[in-house]
Amino acid sequence: MTTCASGVERLADYLEGVLSADTRAELEAHLRGCARCTAFVASYRATPAILRLATSVDPPAALAGSLRRRVRRDL
Amino acid sequence: MGVPGPEPSDERLAASAAAGDEPAFEKLLQRYQARAYRLCYRLLGPGGDPQDAVQEAFLQVFRKLPSFRGESRFATWLYRIVTNAALMQRRSRGRRPAESLEGCLPRFDASGTHLATPDELQAAARVEELLDRRTLAEKALEGIERLPDAYRAAFVLRDLEELSTAEVADLMGLEPAAVRQRVHRARLMLRGYLGELAGVKR
Repeated sequence: MTTCASGVERLADYLEGVLSADTRAELEAHLRGCARCTAFVASYRATPAILRLATSVDPPAALAGSLRRRVRRDL
Repeated sequence: MGVPGPEPSDERLAASAAAGDEPAFEKLLQRYQARAYRLCYRLLGPGGDPQDAVQEAFLQVFRKLPSFRGESRFATWLYRIVTNAALMQRRSRGRRPAESLEGCLPRFDASGTHLATPDELQAAARVEELLDRRTLAEKALEGIERLPDAYRAAFVLRDLEELSTAEVADLMGLEPAAVRQRVHRARLMLRGYLGELAGVKR
């Protein structure tokens, strides 16, 4: 039987589509009936995108120039 | 004016650059410098020097180009060198103990049911509405820094740089299942960490 805890452990495999059909069906049945897991999955799925956006820095304008100088100097 | 031809592939540019074609190397630099910088920024965390790590990495890329055999995609090969340059800088900078995110893992009762309420469990997804962009940017970098070393690179490469699990496995010399496991643990910790930022108490 799938519990919240065992469901959570399978989440990465589930989202990547590598669970067997049986395990997948069992997990999905649990998710349909569990408000806590539904909420958990929503925040689990949102986490990478939040962190990706928050750390999407542009390089400083000086990067290109300093990179070329360093490559020329040290090679 | 002639119609520009299709852009040469990375692999073709790499072969030309290895044979001493400077414009080809320049083109590879242009293609990858911003991505390499972001990767170093994410791996190095607060107080890191991504610019220096990127410079080190591209020097190595240039030196190692003749040995690039095309067994991996060029991008994967380059990401491996950039990742290693960032890890070298982390090592040389010494270790600053950061409070681990272990305490942010989800908790369950004896029957395996979530202890937190649905509202608390969903809070992480609302953090962008609650924090201003600058604070969230700082906290995000801090959270990634607080991941166990074994999980950080796998998470950054898979979830932030959006490489495939197979590519991360190839790059890190791990089995795909091991990559999924590390990325999963990192997501669990960071999800809990974002929840705390959104006001959920442990």
